[in-house]
Amino acid sequence: MESKARRAVLTGVGLVSPIGGDLPTFWRAFIEGRSGVKAIRNVNVSQCAVTVGAEIPDFDPKKYLVTKPQQRALKMMARTVQLGVSAAQKASEDAAMPVGHLDPFRFGISFGAGMIATELEDLSRAAKISTNCAPGSVNLGTWGSTGLKEINPLWMLKYLPNMPACHISIFQDAQGPNNTITESEAASTLAMGEAFRIMGRGLADYILVGGCESKMNPFSLARHPLFQTLSKRKDFPEKALRPFDRDRDGTVLGEGGAVVALEELEHAQKRGAKIYAEVVGFAGGFDKGRTGAVLAKVIRRAMNEAGATPDQIDHVNAHGTGVPELDVWEAKAIHEVFGSQRPHVPVLACKGHLGNLGAASGIMELIVSAESLHHGCLPGSLNHDNPDPACPIHVHTGEPRPVVKPFAVKISYTDMGQCAVVVLRRWE
Amino acid sequence: MSHRRRVVITGMGVITPLGHNVSELYASQCEGLSGVGPIRSFDAKTFPTQFAAEVKNFELGKHLRNADRWKASGVNTRFALAAAKQALADAELLEPIGDRTDIGVYLGSGEGSHEFFGLTECMARAAIQDGFKIDQSVFFQYGKTLFDAGHEHEMEMHTTAGHLADAFDLQGPNFTCLTACAASSQAIGEATEMIRHGDAEMMLSGGAHSMIHPLGVTGFNLLTALSTRNDAPTKASRPFDLSRDGFVLGEGAGMVVLEELEHARRRRAPIYAEVTGYGSTADAFRVTDSHSEGRGAIACIANALKDAGTRPEDIGYINAHGTSTQVNDRVESIAIKKVFGEHAYRTPISSTKSMLGHLIAAAGVVEMIISVMAMRRGVLPPTMNYETPDPDCDLDYIPNMAREKKINHFLSNSFGFGGQNISLVVSRHND
Repeated sequence: MESKARRAVLTGVGLVSPIGGDLPTFWRAFIEGRSGVKAIRNVNVSQCAVTVGAEIPDFDPKKYLVTKPQQRALKMMARTVQLGVSAAQKASEDAAMPVGHLDPFRFGISFGAGMIATELEDLSRAAKISTNCAPGSVNLGTWGSTGLKEINPLWMLKYLPNMPACHISIFQDAQGPNNTITESEAASTLAMGEAFRIMGRGLADYILVGGCESKMNPFSLARHPLFQTLSKRKDFPEKALRPFDRDRDGTVLGEGGAVVALEELEHAQKRGAKIYAEVVGFAGGFDKGRTGAVLAKVIRRAMNEAGATPDQIDHVNAHGTGVPELDVWEAKAIHEVFGSQRPHVPVLACKGHLGNLGAASGIMELIVSAESLHHGCLPGSLNHDNPDPACPIHVHTGEPRPVVKPFAVKISYTDMGQCAVVVLRRWE
Repeated sequence: MSHRRRVVITGMGVITPLGHNVSELYASQCEGLSGVGPIRSFDAKTFPTQFAAEVKNFELGKHLRNADRWKASGVNTRFALAAAKQALADAELLEPIGDRTDIGVYLGSGEGSHEFFGLTECMARAAIQDGFKIDQSVFFQYGKTLFDAGHEHEMEMHTTAGHLADAFDLQGPNFTCLTACAASSQAIGEATEMIRHGDAEMMLSGGAHSMIHPLGVTGFNLLTALSTRNDAPTKASRPFDLSRDGFVLGEGAGMVVLEELEHARRRRAPIYAEVTGYGSTADAFRVTDSHSEGRGAIACIANALKDAGTRPEDIGYINAHGTSTQVNDRVESIAIKKVFGEHAYRTPISSTKSMLGHLIAAAGVVEMIISVMAMRRGVLPPTMNYETPDPDCDLDYIPNMAREKKINHFLSNSFGFGGQNISLVVSRHND
């Protein structure tokens, strides 16, 4: 038996999101019911199957990263990476760890990222030189001999998914365990699970846990409609993503970066850190066939670790993508675990406000539960106007309601059935 | 610590440039064969680097029934499926036993490859504005016909681990990481910790990667990371040699079944070895270079030894990261000397990248599998192409010929682009 179980708390939050670039603005948007899903403006989508998204219209990384070395490094970062690194900077400032207070080897990074699409202009010159635009006329020989010279030598480094964690480690001098989980929409929740484990076994006292994503670019917007069920709504974009709603027709892509500071409890208390919430449970699984059975098991497993029973759960923070069959799957699992509870356990679905932020969604949405527990107030979910009988859960809508129980459950999943659950406990 | 659950390896499988199963691969390593040759999968004649270590004659249908099910998947997923099938068959886990949520998946695995010709043509047609700026609406128009739905879904990074879980009914925790060259070693380390913690009883772990495609070779050539020894490809990967000039791209997959020791004993599973130590650090230095004094590597090697409870003198063999770049091989030698002290000069070290090339995300697992076989058979693989010693690399790199030696513990290093450092200690299991 370990001598004394190490506990992990959230002591800092940073985010760059479609509904605000700072935590108070973000939280207010949740309480007031504002959505970041709008008609896409930064990309010319007149010929694109997708016309709505959760963009961050005025993102300026230089506002977050102010030192000269950081600003030089920005040039080597794709937008996705900039979002992650900016959020980490904010989280770090929020946690206010005194300089020199940490042993660098006990400072880790655990990040979630996805495929980071290349900016077309990075390759367009080489592409043009290598083709003469008759169908199928790309000349690989020309690309190798002449096209290559037109590409920035550091091109690949802009887009590697482990670059957010790499840049953050350099800026922060974080020399401890460092990983990048690349499991699409489940990535940053899995990153939190792993960070929680690393801290629990005593290898780190402080870990920046986050995720970043940007699908608001031509390459991503060209690819995703081909394999992802995206909402076809064009009118009232803010109503397009409708988790568990009878009239849902798909998800909506977006962009954002979200990071939390996970800190060992005694370490946090000794330095008088503010504490948002405690991380108390984690589990993961693969729900083969998406029957709901394994997801239910994963929820229960995480709750067991947390020492939480269903009647102690204040709310379930669902993944809630608004994709018809995926919402059915998730609702089935939630119902399996909580269906017999009275009063009903409310479900929170954040994507109506935020859009589907892919690898960033786990941590971004976890922050909503952390804030909720911290402020004692659960926001209503958006666009859940008519429940769907195929989703027998109770989504809280409308005005915020008080937090009445100590625990919150956060679910994330992928379209193939990979799933992850983290449990938070309110910090008194 | 005394009650810590122990983790053993009960199955292994590989698809590599030098063999589509573990026996073939290990035999090739002992014979010093090279898997490197001119690139055949695309016409690389005008690229700065024209050679790589490709997997040859691979057909998924030879390994799995209904191979068509994965025809939209990238080679990385197809390699992974074949290697996973071998590992699970080896561990006698293809038939359901017990609760399938007790077996998870943790891969260090790369993405598939973009459809280069489609994407390039699309960009070229759309680059009609001044300065080759893209007309986005033109891009979307052509994208509709040039991108393929199945292929694009399979590019998503969760799909390899998803397919393995689905194909082999592995319902436990499911992770994928991509810390470049450290990825599959990191996956194995973290999967080991998951079993130690009780998150699973068994984990299928390892990785798959192929960057031997136009954009992969482009990316590495632009960074001048690859050897350009086009006149002598089989001699290009020469770790620790004075005239080394960069790494050689390889591709493939490796999978191991990691299992809790008592669980393995109860079902009388064959036990290859025990994973006893895991160290993980970050250089936090520069995006493009490792720390010049190897501070991250030193710490991670030391942490792995401490975790295993082994001393440097207990380590019978070091499977180096040994990429054949000037920087890595020098820094890795420094780090080994720093941690091992005088024992560094008595510990044989080799880099199997000299034969296999660099499998990027899949490097760590494949190198670990070779080392497990070395420990079982008592023959350590050589570092090939070692012709001119480098004064900065003055250790015993088992030059050019495999060496008989009985070992009880080995250390395997993987140092990733971006500064993640992973070391694993694996020990003989006597039952």
